[in-house]
Amino acid sequence: MQIRFLAQTILAGLLVAGAAQAQTVTVMGSTALGPIVKKAAEDYMKAHPGVQIAVSGGGSMTGLNQVTSGGCHIGISDVFATPDQEKAGVKNHNIVVQPFTLIAHPGVGVKNLTAQQAEQIFTGKIGNWQEVGGKNQKIVRVIRPESSGTRAVQKKTILHDQDFSKDVLIQDSTGAVVTAVATTPGTVSFVELEHLEKNKTRVAGIAYNGVACSNDAVKAGKYPVFSFGHAYTNPTKLGDPKVKQAVESFLAYILSHEFQQNVLKAGYLPVDYVKSLKTKL
Amino acid sequence: MPVGSTLVHPADIQPGGSRKAGPMPDALETSLTAAPVNGVGGSVESRPTAPHEAAESPVFRHSRIHRLADRWAHLAFLACSLLVVGLIGGILFFLASRGLAAFWPVAGNTGRALHLSEVFLSADWAPSSDRFGILPFIAGSLGVTGLALLIAAPAGILTGVFIAKMAPAWMRNLMRQVMDLLVGIPSVVYGIFGLTVVLPLVSRTWLADAPASGFAVSALILAVMIVPTIVSLSTDAFESLPSSLDEGAQALGSSRWQAIWHVLIPAARPRLLTAAVLGLGRAIGEAMAVQMVIGNNPQWIALMRESTDRAPFLRALFTPAATLTTELVQELPNTAAGSTWNNVLFAMGLLLYLLTMVLILATRRLGRGKEA
Repeated sequence: MQIRFLAQTILAGLLVAGAAQAQTVTVMGSTALGPIVKKAAEDYMKAHPGVQIAVSGGGSMTGLNQVTSGGCHIGISDVFATPDQEKAGVKNHNIVVQPFTLIAHPGVGVKNLTAQQAEQIFTGKIGNWQEVGGKNQKIVRVIRPESSGTRAVQKKTILHDQDFSKDVLIQDSTGAVVTAVATTPGTVSFVELEHLEKNKTRVAGIAYNGVACSNDAVKAGKYPVFSFGHAYTNPTKLGDPKVKQAVESFLAYILSHEFQQNVLKAGYLPVDYVKSLKTKL
Repeated sequence: MPVGSTLVHPADIQPGGSRKAGPMPDALETSLTAAPVNGVGGSVESRPTAPHEAAESPVFRHSRIHRLADRWAHLAFLACSLLVVGLIGGILFFLASRGLAAFWPVAGNTGRALHLSEVFLSADWAPSSDRFGILPFIAGSLGVTGLALLIAAPAGILTGVFIAKMAPAWMRNLMRQVMDLLVGIPSVVYGIFGLTVVLPLVSRTWLADAPASGFAVSALILAVMIVPTIVSLSTDAFESLPSSLDEGAQALGSSRWQAIWHVLIPAARPRLLTAAVLGLGRAIGEAMAVQMVIGNNPQWIALMRESTDRAPFLRALFTPAATLTTELVQELPNTAAGSTWNNVLFAMGLLLYLLTMVLILATRRLGRGKEA
């Protein structure tokens, strides 16, 4: 009895030691991209028992900072690397496509905005819903803080790199933005498509240039407002060739046709949907 | 949190029994009082006689074990207090090293170093366009806390008078317990209440559906948050006054209101000021609740300047604004370490730390004034 127990203990010990020798790939960053990368990690580890992939949060910028300094192997992020980080050798991989849509309080009486109207609303040239065919009500612009990835996308795609109006309400998270838009008359904002779909009863989606945002519209190339979810690596910090190989193989798995089918369920689009499109983002 | 601990009244604890329970508090008390005697100072004389006497008296042997325990306890207390002091010093050092890096070219900086004047004297905050004026946040923090105190201090102090001097005993107990409970409510709860109830209500009732985010609602929410602190402390202040003051004033023919206004409040003034400053300290450091209702617009000063409103002050109350804490909460996690932007945010944190320090020092100074 005791011998058997001893044998079991030794076996367990060997297994633990074996697991400790497996390649560990650490992934840090965006909490928005976290779930989908975690799913990829689980599937990948099942197929590759020798590799451990640890996914943790921290935020887009944390992911970028950590991957730049070598604190993790892969940094996932909604935002672009800064020029300094690019200089330090950080390399970008687009892993998913993220469509964005304009939303408004249901009572504003507007269903569509042209690109020019949308731009002028957020730069402050248009201040009343009446000017774009709605009811006589002041436009309340709800946007994200300056360091937010969503705001960067909005500035690039909707405002064409002009400054936002000074008359804005700023909310910290997309959830808070949706709550503000749902409870404040006259509000307009800009969120990921999945947040509109989850809150269809509380806020109204607004079409852009006559096209309502949807996965199909993005796929067909009719809807131009989207960004990429990024995975960054820093090849100069990946000393161990085994780790390097594991990182490259994991990224290849995320981009594989097999895994990309899963991202639809998480509110993203597969990267190959837009491969053919020329985009500034 | 220092505020919470000051609000527990010895009088409330004793009937509950936690003070009397078990030998633990006694042991602690003896070790506390005995520690200095057995410490470095007094040990030289007593040590040589100890083994001799210990052989004769079992009582003394017992106390010798106690002494050993005392010495260890003494060390443990010392270690804990040093740890706390070290932590506070470490935080200050960390904030200062990162915050001051905004103004001097330091290794690890990826951006440029700024002039003090373009940070502290400018109201233009647009970090991605390389403009770093933090005046809107300083003004926002001072404005919203000042307004909150303006609402909370009179309300809190008058409630304190009521609880201490007018309310019947059952009501006094009830009010005290309610106030102590209110102090412990997490700020995010007040924030959610403000965001989902107060903002839409104010907007619908007074502003013809225009958004109500801004100083007014934030100050109101903050005031509700700090009123319990002020009430508890000012109740203590009034209860600690000798009843002869009150009785003397009434014997001289003053009405109740006159006695309160001319005798009790002046007599309790140092402790009332302490209460107000502690409330202020809680308000200025609050981030979550304010962040949810203030609107977080860093350009509010510029916006006010452009406006042609006839009642600028009233308008300012309902203009989305930002404070030091709200800006830190929103931007710090998303800026790159070592960038000018990140450094300026740390400088704002340092400023907030120093402001709180000043408030705490003021509290202690005022508290000392009470005895003098």
